[in-house]
Amino acid sequence: MVNLSLFGMLRRSLVHRRARSVSALVAMTVSAGVATALLTLYADLDAKLHKEFRSFGANVVVTGPASAPLRPDALARVQEAAGPDAVAAEFAYAVATTDTGTPVVVAGTDFAAVKRLDSWWQVDAWPEASAMDVALLGQRAAQFVGNEHAVALTYAGHTATVNGAGRIKTGGDEDSRIYMPLAAFTRWTGVGPSVIELQVPGGAAKVEATMTRLRQDFPEMQIQPVRQLVEGESKIVDRTHALMYGAVILIALTVAVSVLATLSASVLERRRDFALMKALGGSQVQLMGMFLMETLVLALAGVAVGFVVGSAAAWAISEGNFHTATLPHLSVLPLVLLLNVVIAAMAALFPARVLRGLQPAALLKGE
Amino acid sequence: MSVSEAKVVANIQTGPLVDPFGNTRDDCAVIALKHVTREYAGHGGAVRALEDATFSIVAGEWVAITGPSGSGKSTLVNLIGCLDRPTAGELKIDNVDTAAMSATELDRFRADKIGFIFQQFHLIPYLSALENVMLAQYFHSMTDESEAKAALERVGLGDRVSHLPSELSGGEQQRVCIARALINNPPILLADEPTGNLDAANQKIVAELLQDLHRNGHTIVMVTHDPEMAGLAQRRIALSHGKVFCHPVGGPMVTLRRASDRS
Repeated sequence: MVNLSLFGMLRRSLVHRRARSVSALVAMTVSAGVATALLTLYADLDAKLHKEFRSFGANVVVTGPASAPLRPDALARVQEAAGPDAVAAEFAYAVATTDTGTPVVVAGTDFAAVKRLDSWWQVDAWPEASAMDVALLGQRAAQFVGNEHAVALTYAGHTATVNGAGRIKTGGDEDSRIYMPLAAFTRWTGVGPSVIELQVPGGAAKVEATMTRLRQDFPEMQIQPVRQLVEGESKIVDRTHALMYGAVILIALTVAVSVLATLSASVLERRRDFALMKALGGSQVQLMGMFLMETLVLALAGVAVGFVVGSAAAWAISEGNFHTATLPHLSVLPLVLLLNVVIAAMAALFPARVLRGLQPAALLKGE
Repeated sequence: MSVSEAKVVANIQTGPLVDPFGNTRDDCAVIALKHVTREYAGHGGAVRALEDATFSIVAGEWVAITGPSGSGKSTLVNLIGCLDRPTAGELKIDNVDTAAMSATELDRFRADKIGFIFQQFHLIPYLSALENVMLAQYFHSMTDESEAKAALERVGLGDRVSHLPSELSGGEQQRVCIARALINNPPILLADEPTGNLDAANQKIVAELLQDLHRNGHTIVMVTHDPEMAGLAQRRIALSHGKVFCHPVGGPMVTLRRASDRS
């Protein structure tokens, strides 16, 4: 039983012109793939970039008035006001003397909180959270102690001996400090925490909003942003957004030109087939419908393949750059579909014009 | 009985409808041109491809259109085949003025009234012989496999239905083209150099098929350069520089059978 249908003819026409069909399909797939990859990354971009920026540490610093010690419940109140997503750690500072007689800044803090807050620090071994007589030695500070495993520190005539459990390297001031548990530090020096470093998740707007809230709740404290970080994050996110928009538009235009060339060639080489169909009674609407249906099929097939390829590419890019997987976002599919259909429609304009101007008699005569 | 069939019967009942000067009776014309002109826009102004053509062709007649290249044959085929409309004048096919039709109406009308036979066959390469015939049904109304097979059997290709054009000889391809032209039973067959690409043996087969179709009452308008083929027609219309300059009575008048006698 032979059944001549539009889809049957379309399928066989595409198979018959294999090279041309594959060429058009590849172009449409590239367009859909790139759009999928960029839009998927775009969808995750804010979260990914904010996460990246979070790894640079605190973006808000809370200090007492005129550098006075903070109230004992300050950390809990700040944490509560900043929300459960925020990470906070308090610091107390004192200048002590090492057993070699060298002055060094010693900081007391909560290692567990700092590990979360400053995940970018390079620490070869974090001390046990429950241990009291341990310390992290800054890379430079370690040069001024005699025995790393029994570091004798003197402050206001009181000596504390701590075991250097690991070394810290940041390239900053931290390299010249010795960090020890806050409780042990306070017991030894009698100095309480004077600084709370706070890491607020989200973009610049959220950081600003949190700071405003903190200023309202704690008018006696000084709430300062780590401005370079917050502004830098905002600028980089905005620029990355613009870059991705630009890339999508540029690639879409490039692909449109490629698809235009392929579709034009496809129509031009089949002018006689279309002329024949017109001579057999095919209306302009039918012929245009066949051509546009073919274009649409290629666009849809391109979207189907491109979505898979693009999602895989987004996953690889994300894994390579952010070290976290980006899962396929079905939410980008309608946009990718729309983009590919628009590209196909733009590319089909010229061939459709050629089709409309067909002169069957001349073409079928071989002129 | 269709208008065309009625005219065939009229042809039988009243005798030849073409007088010795080549004029036909208007009321029996299946194709009638009156002062038809077709101009195209050219770089140096309008180019007149066909000028003031006036003639008619009656139902069941076999007419050969001859003339050198550039004489306006393609333009004439375009107009008679309803692929184009005249710039001026009146062109009636089966008593309907095609100039008044919209493009969509003209497409429909063409599918109903005209069967095309081309010099270069123009079969769709990825469709079988049967599907190529069914393609004409597809654009006309709906496909019918048994009818398409019967049309191929009629041209002697009953055993070639599933062959692709590339698997058929030139003569066989032309016969598929003829089957395709016949499948919707159009009153007019428009053959443009139907034997131009064939060897002598296949030319003979196609000529015999056309003669058979003519004997069965089909109106055939055939463009040809071949004097032998032109000689098979009842009448010859010659074109030169876009003008119909003579249309003498040529060849013997064939005896037409009644429409009701046709198998």
